Amino acid sequence: MKIATIKTPDQVIIPLQQHAGAVCNSLVSVGDIVSAGQLIGDGESRIHSSVSGEVTAVSELPHPTGKNVPSVVINIHEGAEKEIEPEELSTGKLRHIIREAGIIEPNGLSTLRTKAEIDTIIINGTNTDDLSSNAALMLDYPAEIVYSLKALMELVGAKKAFIVIELNSEALQVMRTETIPDRNIKVIATPMYYPPGTEDVLVKNVAKKKVPRGSTPEDRGVLVSSIAAMKAIYDAVHGIPMIKKVITVAGAVGSPRNVLVDIGTPIGHVIEECGGCNGTPAKIIVNGAISGTAQYTDQVPVIKTTTGILVQTEKDVNREPPAPCINCAWCVDACPIGLMPHLLYGYADSAEFDRCADLYIDDCIECGLCAYICPSKLPIVQMIRYGKHGIAEAEMEDLS
Amino acid sequence: MTFTISPPPHVKSRESVKSVMWGTVAALIPVSLAAIYLFGLPALMVILASVIAAVVTEVIIYWAASQPITAGDGNAVLIGLLLALILPPDIPIWIPIAGSVFAIAVAKYIFGGTGTLIFHPALIGFAFLLAAWPTLLSTASTPHLGSFSDLFLETGAGRLIEVSPALVLLGGAFVLYKRYVDRRVAISATILLIPSMLILGMGWQLPYILTGGFFLGLIFLAADPVTSPVTKRGRLVYGIVLVVLILIQLHFNAYFTGLCFAILLMNAFGPFIDKNTVPTPIGGR
Repeated sequence: MKIATIKTPDQVIIPLQQHAGAVCNSLVSVGDIVSAGQLIGDGESRIHSSVSGEVTAVSELPHPTGKNVPSVVINIHEGAEKEIEPEELSTGKLRHIIREAGIIEPNGLSTLRTKAEIDTIIINGTNTDDLSSNAALMLDYPAEIVYSLKALMELVGAKKAFIVIELNSEALQVMRTETIPDRNIKVIATPMYYPPGTEDVLVKNVAKKKVPRGSTPEDRGVLVSSIAAMKAIYDAVHGIPMIKKVITVAGAVGSPRNVLVDIGTPIGHVIEECGGCNGTPAKIIVNGAISGTAQYTDQVPVIKTTTGILVQTEKDVNREPPAPCINCAWCVDACPIGLMPHLLYGYADSAEFDRCADLYIDDCIECGLCAYICPSKLPIVQMIRYGKHGIAEAEMEDLS
Repeated sequence: MTFTISPPPHVKSRESVKSVMWGTVAALIPVSLAAIYLFGLPALMVILASVIAAVVTEVIIYWAASQPITAGDGNAVLIGLLLALILPPDIPIWIPIAGSVFAIAVAKYIFGGTGTLIFHPALIGFAFLLAAWPTLLSTASTPHLGSFSDLFLETGAGRLIEVSPALVLLGGAFVLYKRYVDRRVAISATILLIPSMLILGMGWQLPYILTGGFFLGLIFLAADPVTSPVTKRGRLVYGIVLVVLILIQLHFNAYFTGLCFAILLMNAFGPFIDKNTVPTPIGGR
């Protein structure tokens, strides 16, 4: 597997919110000339320009999450090519570098969130359904990933690290070979299951520690990170902030593959560069078929949390009307958290939010497995979101 | 360009309510054919009368109630077929019709239709017939495993289902593999029943247990997804308590009818078991 590169688009749209948290402040205004790697947004996280060009707009534009977010639009100047200055970043400690480079995990959080004591690092190298960008990164950059992992272990003082990879992944052998000299880095093969990236499940299965409700893996001394973040840390140490992302383009496209994309590239451009759509696209999904978000426009940009783009044609889109729940309990068996999705669906449907709360609706990670497996085709995830929203609203009312 | 947007997931498994119901019906076809082969025309008449009555009742009731007619999902066919299979062949033709009408109208429709019903409709239909016309339902013979060939074709069969334990097991293996019935209930009950009979000194009754009727009861009726509990622990509890009830019935030499009433009684406890076995989520206290 080789990661392909694509032609840079004429225009990139860089949202000022690519992390879980408040929107960053824009440091540029219309007419400014920026260079690749230049800081353009600051706040809870840091955002850099991925290209060199002229800022043509700073306005609210569509974002992969479905809402409009303040974004910086940059038109690429052929002449304005200017290299990134490596010194700016590579000075200082790694903790400082991770923040300065604006490294964001695929779940939207920063890699180092707390200063809690960490003794174990888990790197999630599993692939989410049809997305294989993790495997591609490990095949192409095994040494870089191990380099970053070792640096991270040293920084937080972790004694051991695990890299979790699926049993049938080509990357398994590569990473095993790469980590032979390091006794404290273990490569763990897991059977194929979804969702592999759930932090609490990983921590339970790999580090054998339970994460109680309301606390994070860090509280138990475990740091969960991703392959994408390891690559970003390696780049950051060598002076390149997080301005590129490896994503998987899958589904009904000419040549499905893993591509290296500048942050801010509209997904329509990425699809074009991957051979375009086979037939009329009916649905464009960012971040995987089971838990991803369907987009209403192909002008949304690739952001730091993007892991893949899936294109579906009309025949792939499920339009079967839901039937009544038949109590088959497949959702109960499928739930990785141990919830009762069919009951949550029923109670949320009849707006009995307090009963949803009694059944731990807030623990739901919205992985989508229950709705995938449901023979009645019930929109369980949608209803659970409605239930969570209802509880949040009731709490707001209680406060006021 | 317009794109469809919807909440996730954007792919769904191929299984649907239709495939579950029709798949279960398909699993019962081999044993139905064997019954027609052994009993001849009367068996075919019982099956047809029961299935057609069930479908017609469903269509009429849902039409009269101005609700969407869901007879196409195969649930009514399944209920009719299950009821026909647990009846003896030499009965007046109105018996399966009355049973099916009662099963659909009372046990299914009044309890809210597929998914919300508490008692298995086919068993309710059977219990209704047994209470109303007990003399008409008496079987000509009680099957028991005498020789090895009885596993494949039981010539002493009193009910349609009892003609071939092997074919019921074959269909059962299919629905268990496809998870159309609940594995935990079926397997826990089946595995537990035989050793506990041996321990309790009821081993001499084993030949009466290894019959089509019992396999149908444990796999297709007790483990029916709608009426069995949903929690993982609850389904095991359900299977275990069901075995206790079956053993009590066996003590009084009640074989197939005993099994049916044991399952009906367990159906009543299903929601209670569910309520008390709510799982603790990962990370819960």
